[in-house]
Amino acid sequence: MDESEDVPKDFIKLKSEKLSVDEVSELVTSPYCGAVSLFIGTTRNNFEGKKVIHLEYEAYTSMAETEIKKICRDIRQKWPSVKHIAVHHRLGVVPIAEASVIIAVSSPHRAESLEAVMYCINTLKASVPIWKKEIYEDECSWKENKECFWANSEK
Amino acid sequence: QVSVLYFARSAELAGLRSETLSVPRHITALQLWEEIVKAHPRLAVIRDQVIFAVRQEYVHLGDQLLVLQPGDEVAIIPPISGG
Repeated sequence: MDESEDVPKDFIKLKSEKLSVDEVSELVTSPYCGAVSLFIGTTRNNFEGKKVIHLEYEAYTSMAETEIKKICRDIRQKWPSVKHIAVHHRLGVVPIAEASVIIAVSSPHRAESLEAVMYCINTLKASVPIWKKEIYEDECSWKENKECFWANSEK
Repeated sequence: QVSVLYFARSAELAGLRSETLSVPRHITALQLWEEIVKAHPRLAVIRDQVIFAVRQEYVHLGDQLLVLQPGDEVAIIPPISGG
């Protein structure tokens, strides 16, 4: 048996091409794991009655990768049985209904991977320097996550 | 001399994505913000929403003393919306 299968890995990618659920889940699949949990964030076509034409994402790429690595490290501390973690985030123009983020986590049993995926997306929204701009028919708007830990959201 | 990076709304208000800025080696985060606003007054409107990232660590716009090295990256981070 290939010994390198046992080493837990983090797969982090920021890219402008279309994301693939198959690709991401294959990255974390392992014969040692009975569970692969997945989260897919997709783009909605409306906001407050306005039609969204598409989304544009930008990132402070080097810091975003570092922050995602920190999240992976935290996941492994909280759920030591987690095997592999994959986080793929799309940048640039993302058409409606396509995935902007895919997170996959594998673990021997399902509880850990399910909890880790939820932790991962919640923490990503609070701390990873990535921004989304919604393009409407006649205007555009930079979105703000309510999870963002420093912004005053009195909305 | 530090490298200042602008993102999202701050890049739109400043009209650029990056520049080098000459600042004292020892400066508080708030003083650094004030230097940047002097160069780009339109940034003043987002003062309450932004945070810095100095050498890729988040720093609030407060009295924390920064010890800057030449070539350090300082990023203006508006409220994030990833995921």
